[in-house]
Amino acid sequence: MPYDGDLPRTPPGRGGTGDGPRAARRRDRPGVSTPRVRSGAMTTIGVDVGGTFTDLVSRDTDTGQITVAKRPTTPAAPELGVLAAVDAAVPPESLARCAYFVHGTTVGLNALLERRGATVGLITTEGFRDVLEIRRGDRDDPYDLFWTPPPPLVPRRLRREVAERVAADGTVVRELDPEGVRRAAAVFAAEGVDAVAVVLINAYANAAHERAVPAALRDAGFAGEVSLSHEVSGEYREYERTTTTVVDAFVRHRMGPYLRNLDRGLRARGFTGRLLVTRSGGGALTLEEAAARPFETILSGPVAGAAATARLASSLGRSTAIAADVGGTSFDTALIEDGVLPLLFQGEVGGLPLQSPWVDVRSVGAGGGSVAYVDAGGLLRVGPRSAGAVPGPACYGRGGTEPTVTDAALHLGLIPPGPLAGGIDLDRDLATAALAPLAAPCGLPGADAVAEGVMRIAAAHMAHAVRGVTVERGVDPRRAVLVAFGGAGPLFGCLLAGELGASAVVVPANAGTFSAVGLVQADLVRGAARTLVRPLTDAALAEALTLAGALFTRLFTRLAGRGGGGEPADAVREIDLDLRHLGQEHTLAVRVEPGDTAGGVRARFTARYRRAYGHDMPGPLEIVTVRATVRAGLPGGPAPLPAPAAAGAPGERRDIDLWSFHRKRFVPSRAVPRAALTQATPGPLVVVEPTSTTYVDAGFTVAPHECGTLLVTREEKTL
Amino acid sequence: MNPVNPVNSGSSGSSGNGGGVVRTAFAAAGPAPGADADPITTEIVRQGLNAAADHMKRALTRTAFSPIIYEALDFAVAFYDTDMCMLAQAPTLPAFMGTLGFCVRAAVEGVGGPGSLAPGDVILYNDPYGTGSHPQDAAMVVPVFAGGELTAYSVIKAHWLDIGGKDPYSTDTLDVYQEGTIFPGVKLYDAGRLVGDIYRMILANSRMADMVIGDINAMVAGARAGGEALAAIVDRYGKAEFTACVARMYAHGEALVRDWFAALPDGVYTASGAIDSDGVSGVPVPFSVKVTVEGTRIEVDLTDCPDQTPGPINCPLPSTVAACRLAVAFLAGAGEQPNEGHFRPLDVLTRPGSLFHPRRPAPCFMYGIPADHAIELVLAALAEAVPDVPAASGGDINALVWWGEREATGTPWTDGAPHPVGQGASPRGDGAGALMYLSQSATRLTPAEVWEARNPWRIERMALAEDSGGPGTHRGGPGLDLSFRCLEDHYLTSALARTRTAPWGRAGGHAGRPGGLTVEHPDGTVEEHALRTRIPLAKDAVVHLRTGSGGGFGPPSGRDPQAVQADLREGYITEEHARRHYPHAL
Repeated sequence: MPYDGDLPRTPPGRGGTGDGPRAARRRDRPGVSTPRVRSGAMTTIGVDVGGTFTDLVSRDTDTGQITVAKRPTTPAAPELGVLAAVDAAVPPESLARCAYFVHGTTVGLNALLERRGATVGLITTEGFRDVLEIRRGDRDDPYDLFWTPPPPLVPRRLRREVAERVAADGTVVRELDPEGVRRAAAVFAAEGVDAVAVVLINAYANAAHERAVPAALRDAGFAGEVSLSHEVSGEYREYERTTTTVVDAFVRHRMGPYLRNLDRGLRARGFTGRLLVTRSGGGALTLEEAAARPFETILSGPVAGAAATARLASSLGRSTAIAADVGGTSFDTALIEDGVLPLLFQGEVGGLPLQSPWVDVRSVGAGGGSVAYVDAGGLLRVGPRSAGAVPGPACYGRGGTEPTVTDAALHLGLIPPGPLAGGIDLDRDLATAALAPLAAPCGLPGADAVAEGVMRIAAAHMAHAVRGVTVERGVDPRRAVLVAFGGAGPLFGCLLAGELGASAVVVPANAGTFSAVGLVQADLVRGAARTLVRPLTDAALAEALTLAGALFTRLFTRLAGRGGGGEPADAVREIDLDLRHLGQEHTLAVRVEPGDTAGGVRARFTARYRRAYGHDMPGPLEIVTVRATVRAGLPGGPAPLPAPAAAGAPGERRDIDLWSFHRKRFVPSRAVPRAALTQATPGPLVVVEPTSTTYVDAGFTVAPHECGTLLVTREEKTL
Repeated sequence: MNPVNPVNSGSSGSSGNGGGVVRTAFAAAGPAPGADADPITTEIVRQGLNAAADHMKRALTRTAFSPIIYEALDFAVAFYDTDMCMLAQAPTLPAFMGTLGFCVRAAVEGVGGPGSLAPGDVILYNDPYGTGSHPQDAAMVVPVFAGGELTAYSVIKAHWLDIGGKDPYSTDTLDVYQEGTIFPGVKLYDAGRLVGDIYRMILANSRMADMVIGDINAMVAGARAGGEALAAIVDRYGKAEFTACVARMYAHGEALVRDWFAALPDGVYTASGAIDSDGVSGVPVPFSVKVTVEGTRIEVDLTDCPDQTPGPINCPLPSTVAACRLAVAFLAGAGEQPNEGHFRPLDVLTRPGSLFHPRRPAPCFMYGIPADHAIELVLAALAEAVPDVPAASGGDINALVWWGEREATGTPWTDGAPHPVGQGASPRGDGAGALMYLSQSATRLTPAEVWEARNPWRIERMALAEDSGGPGTHRGGPGLDLSFRCLEDHYLTSALARTRTAPWGRAGGHAGRPGGLTVEHPDGTVEEHALRTRIPLAKDAVVHLRTGSGGGFGPPSGRDPQAVQADLREGYITEEHARRHYPHAL
């Protein structure tokens, strides 16, 4: 178990989580922190299963060497795709030396989106059977007369009420009737229920009744898994907590077997280390924790890219960075401040709210495959619909006829035509043929103008998303460094910089697989939260800290119960309070330390509030939720960043016709292999490497930069 | 771009008593302007305006103090150009859609016109005849300057918990002066400086001054943030290109809606209904709507209605126009965030001095009741031309407003919210279970656990009502049953509007159930209420709210027996209900 007390101590300053105070508080107990795995003989492997590709990154902690690989995802049995990537990219001796295999998976997500999970029964308080179906009474689209909510995860006949009641202050108003639980169990048995979710009203304030339910279910012969709402979430809002608990019961059925199959497959290949699973809120869980709390992993997909950006920003000494990840179907963006990932405490998947920490990565439907069209009113529009992998962009020659962002980029010379990884041949004539018919309906002169428009509109979508994540946190995007990655990210760096008024874009080496780097940065993280509504006073703060202490104890007990040990030597405890002005609903999370006074906490809250909202107010504050988090690092310290491909084979510079958005026309230019770019070079040009292409417009200069990156800067006169 | 017939919304002077008809039309004159604007930049500007409006919405909800703003989303945020045409509105309270143009115009006139505005100004305006609402719905208008020139306005209209008036929420006012303190366009901030006198006037006139002040701060911060985002867009493209793009954007929105109407058969479509009561006289108030579709334009005629009523169900013109726009947007808007262009194909006819065009000092606190009813009737009328139109929904927002003083501390408290209704069935399928009424469709029901943590209540039941959905080939959505046990003494205003007319079915579908409210007092007496102000509730009183369900579509005999069996199995209907309405399926 990673938390078994002799986990290697991690040096301070790791990217992704490390900041000064936290690192300083890391306990230094050298006696128990000797790495168990042979020194200098270790690898960490990260595998991220995406919708189209499975990315693998392997890091040798001794040599610092990083290997990356890309394999097609195998949706029917994702573990096979993972093992295939391992077989292809990791030599057996390297796998045998692997201490941590960090896995990012969409198995839970897909189970939820495709509604393939356990048959779940729900036990709830009398009078509240329909919470799951009433939801919050709102519509996803307020102007859609016909909008209907998705069917509830638990059908009405499997939602059973029991007589009991706890008040908001935790007092018992009515004792639990165990007979009601037994009646529910009889229904569940008759209906073939696999797993039961128990959500009693106000259980966040007093969980005694919820705790009594599993025994009553067992007495009645129910042998399946039971999820209790106060263990899953501990926060108030019965619809959100019910959904989270039901999702937990629903996906656990699939996640456990999947993870154990993968673990067995790895061990059969000689793996002796630990399998870890990435978490929606950043960091990673052990296999046992992930199998037991799968809802914590559901939104982990886009986190790796943000974590990799945090790591790179720290290495470059940039305090504020914006992750700009352009993939096939979406643009994902996150704001990184001082190396810390932005956290939220409620997410949403497929219209279902989840009370779980998640990294605030915003997605918009603008990627390489986004389809361009002219709407009924005669305006050119881009996305959110994507041509996907099949048929894909028109230029793939696989039957697609609708123009996409990739077609526009190819037509404009931003991507060189010719063979692409995976046996696809990019055909510019097909791209042009798809773009040209859009010109007349929206009054544009021809395919050039359409292609230019598609790129600018897609970039504007992306820029709006970036403004959302920055302005809401009181950050001016012009002061941040943009980190452009993903297959299509480096194509958009200059356009995004233009839209946002940013002056610098950094393109990491191997930008196409940069996200996977974030996997091998993961800390081990676990957290618990509990709603505790109190006015912020010194006494209430003391109560909150005591509650946090109890949550920590529970975290370690939970772990010990699953085969882990006590608190690891280098574990860092973090306590956050959700605070608000008395009367408000929305909260801001503020870090607290033992010994803090209410006044000190208030000052921190006020500073954050003022920065985010531009004003502050007198009046009392209120504590809403107490959050306890434990994190411990993986061995080996911060991972080195990937270097560009070896300089040995620079390839050829080629002359191309390249569109300049700055000059609004094609200009004679060059496609330069990455390895051949050795000095600052003014645009327009494109820099080519195997997994991505960096476009540099006229008015911008590109230069090799620290950590193997390219730095694209805007010339003053174009500002 | 000016309205063909601009409405002088701030004054009571007009033509003769009840005579004449006013046409409110916003058609653009001459050839479509902006045709030469770059379509790419136009699309980017359009997106940018919508994104900026969304940003303003988030800034408000995240800092607001009253649940009616952050949970119920009882507000609208929008940008208007200097011709008072709507640049963008975030998806907020649909009932406020397009009301803000009247309001911005009146607010600016109130402080002396555009020439009196300076950067840093914030205008406060809540005159019901200009906002279209009750005085609780107060607007903050921020003039947006770009390059030193007045370019646009950002505006937030939001529901304040209390701004005076005879009660925090009234169903029985006799004139507008009983409804709240009126700010007829005053500067709350003058060139960036808080006007202390106005601020103290607000404080002195609210039962919930602390929360109102918190909401004011949130509104000012939100409107300013929106204004900055808008100014950044104008600065990026320059005033000339921005203006051209906006003109093309309006033409685009207009074309979308005109195309939709062009596809409808021309004709005159009518529907009639009756409002339960005006809140004072207790008798039903009938009216009808006449919708004329002619080529690519549509006209809604609301002149066939009673003169303005003694009780507060009069709907000021801005909200009458908004209700018609909303009905149109639901049908023809293609799910887009609307701008001024979307509204241009629509003309609204009203009769000054009547229910839908009242004159000062007619009371209008419950203006939403006729507005919601008008939406239902416009949809019902158009059903003849648009087969997809669903049967009636529960048809009401079921607003309840509660207040009192906490026993332990003496602190005043208030809470209020709309509640979801069953949706009408349509040719596309069964109606959805309880969703907020169309005019409040972005609103969210507050969780019982949040209510119990905040208010002296225990929620004893929050359930879908069995057997309530109107029978049909497609079944209406069930209404909601909610029971509140009062743990301390307090007051309730019940603003239920649709307890006498059952939600109608369509094409042979049966009606659903109407809404209702029952109070069981601790002494054993039981009362039924609909529109009633300040109902005293003693400790251990229980309030049962039943919200309306949806009507059915098509004859019940056509319902798939398997669907009937499934409804039985899941407990949406009982055996008895199935025997009565669906004998073919048993």
